[in-house]
Amino acid sequence: MEFFVFVCSALMILVGAVGVIVRKHPVHAALSLVLTLFGVAVLFVAQEAHFLAAVQVIVYAGAIVVLFLFVIMLLGVDRVENLRTEPLSGQRPLAVLASLGLVAVLITAILRGNQIFNERGTGLNLPDAQDGPDANTVQLAESIFSQYVVAFEVTSVLLVIAVVGTVLLTRRTRATAE
Amino acid sequence: MGQYLPIVVLAILAILFGVGSLIASKLLAPRRPNTAKGAPYECGIVPSLEAPERFPVSFYVVAMLFIMFDIEIIFAYPYAVASNSLGVYGFWELVAFSAVFFVAFVYVVARGALDWGPVKKPRRLVSRDGDILSESRSVSTTIRRVGFEGRETREKVSV
Amino acid sequence: MIALDSLFFENLLWTPLLIVLAKVLVVFVIGLLATLLMVWFERKAIAGMQNRVGPNKTGPFGILQTLADGIKLFFKEDLFPTRADRFVFVVAPFLSFVPAFLSFAIIPLGGDFRDGNSGEVTIFGQVTRIQLADPPIGVLFALAISSIAVYGIMLAGWSSGSKYPLLGSVRASAQMVSYEAALGLSLACVLLLAGTLSTSGIVAAQSTITDWHFVSTGLVPFFIFLIAATAELNRPPFDLVEAEQELVGGFNTEYSSIRFALFYLAEFMNTVTMSGLIVTLFFGGPQPIAFGDFVFDIPMLPNALEGSVWLLAKILVFLYLYVWFRATLPRLRYDQLMDWGWKLLIPASLGWFMLLAAQQLGRRNDWNIFLVTGACIAVLVICYLLLQAAFSRSSSQRERQGTMF
Repeated sequence: MEFFVFVCSALMILVGAVGVIVRKHPVHAALSLVLTLFGVAVLFVAQEAHFLAAVQVIVYAGAIVVLFLFVIMLLGVDRVENLRTEPLSGQRPLAVLASLGLVAVLITAILRGNQIFNERGTGLNLPDAQDGPDANTVQLAESIFSQYVVAFEVTSVLLVIAVVGTVLLTRRTRATAE
Repeated sequence: MGQYLPIVVLAILAILFGVGSLIASKLLAPRRPNTAKGAPYECGIVPSLEAPERFPVSFYVVAMLFIMFDIEIIFAYPYAVASNSLGVYGFWELVAFSAVFFVAFVYVVARGALDWGPVKKPRRLVSRDGDILSESRSVSTTIRRVGFEGRETREKVSV
Repeated sequence: MIALDSLFFENLLWTPLLIVLAKVLVVFVIGLLATLLMVWFERKAIAGMQNRVGPNKTGPFGILQTLADGIKLFFKEDLFPTRADRFVFVVAPFLSFVPAFLSFAIIPLGGDFRDGNSGEVTIFGQVTRIQLADPPIGVLFALAISSIAVYGIMLAGWSSGSKYPLLGSVRASAQMVSYEAALGLSLACVLLLAGTLSTSGIVAAQSTITDWHFVSTGLVPFFIFLIAATAELNRPPFDLVEAEQELVGGFNTEYSSIRFALFYLAEFMNTVTMSGLIVTLFFGGPQPIAFGDFVFDIPMLPNALEGSVWLLAKILVFLYLYVWFRATLPRLRYDQLMDWGWKLLIPASLGWFMLLAAQQLGRRNDWNIFLVTGACIAVLVICYLLLQAAFSRSSSQRERQGTMF
């Protein structure tokens, strides 16, 4: 059962991820991204991280991709792009270099961490299903509000920077408003 | 994980229902497409202008603000569920978190990001003949100007 | 304590699987029937309010009118706009229709929650709930589904390749996104008092009228939730999405035949689900109305079944309310809509949530509750004044310089 779910969600994630790159139409690419994010949510559920799965859907699929689609619609770039033109010169060789580096890092990580696959971990201290429906959420809350306070508070600052930045960038200057 | 099984089954059933009705309509409905039917619907008028290429950027600002509040909400839920065990410290954390958001919200509002619609007070109207809102303007002058505009002779028009 | 649905604790054998299938079928049929009846109910009630007769030909009181309309739509030509994005155009109705059914799954549809009962019933030797699914995230599931439902409308308008649907869908998505924040924040107030995400847990905690928390959640969060839910449903007075005077038919202008029917079905299904959610969160769901020890008990009915009757009665109240809104209230202008959502509902629900959190904290630590409330109100008033200052600054600047975005 768990294996079946894993295979299904992994397929969803992979198909979505490939779709993001392969689809030429920006809106289709964004929809493929939704598929990937949804697959990740299913994986979270399979790992008994229910709250995280809900967050994944609400924030990523429900808010961030909506933002992407807004940008695509607002800017009128929802036409198929001509892939011949290169907006930034030298972008493509750099991209190839960067992706090769990433692949190299991944391969070394897998090779170096090979023994992990043979070990059985002790597992996480997951709440039992019999503890009630909210055990997972309560556990998450306790670690967010105690162990990871700094990260939690920094999140708010990060978002504020994003929002203020948006307002400053999109605001008309006085000269053009006249 | 089994708790989600009925939802998956329901989703499959709903999709099957939708696909089934599409197939049924394909079998039952006539299909006689022509160019007029395929054109964008504009109440019978032949479409002349393209669909707008760009939308006001305010929509983007709204989406960005939504992400901010969405994350605030997402962190409010664990607090709401576990407020029993989090105690005073947890409460102040939440207050600090929300305060940062609130200050940002006030800033964004003050910069006018959430003002929609037309400007409330009309700006001073200036016309060819000078200031329309001038003191010399009265009912009779307005009527005369409107009445005489474009006419050849003044005599023909009785006010 | 309310635990998860015990149906799934052991290995899934044939009996539980069959029960799941039966439940799914029943819920699906109930959903479809409820939608059909809701369309009829709305047309009939609105006709009454406007001094008309309404549908009265098909079946008794015209009750089969929706069925007739639905069958008619099967025989209508399925137009495919030439400028449409084929793939998205086909997928969009499903993105609207499937979520509409899914969020119905978490509403407790019956069961006995009285006297600390957990609302479970035994069918064929299996203990389960009269509720399709009870995932651990409970109401968050409904929120997640409603955030997915935005796509249906957004993509339908975009993929049509036509002006008015596009305008409608951009409006709609901004509207739904704005009111989702208010919806979520007022939901947080309920969760704070219930202390659980599970819908059956929330229902179980509301056994008497006093447990409905008329002051703490009934006053502000309920009204915010109701307004935000109406906006989320794109129902009047928030139906700018399909403002027919300006946008032809809104996001689904280019849809015809059964594709249109799917959108239509989703819209009414969502109305029923949202009413069910309101009843679950604020009015005890399938619990009978009770004052202290006195319970309005319907005789001759087993308690589990009685729950369904109560739920139906409560949902009907809200369905009527939605019809009443449509008959009474004029549509909002777009800037009014945005002002309502961002400048009133979201700050108000956030402030109320903090107030409730502080009060709860004070009660747990035996602080002076009046002092805590007073301090909170003082802080909130300062916040309110700050916000007002921001509003007046922005509007005065707007008058001087024109729009800034």
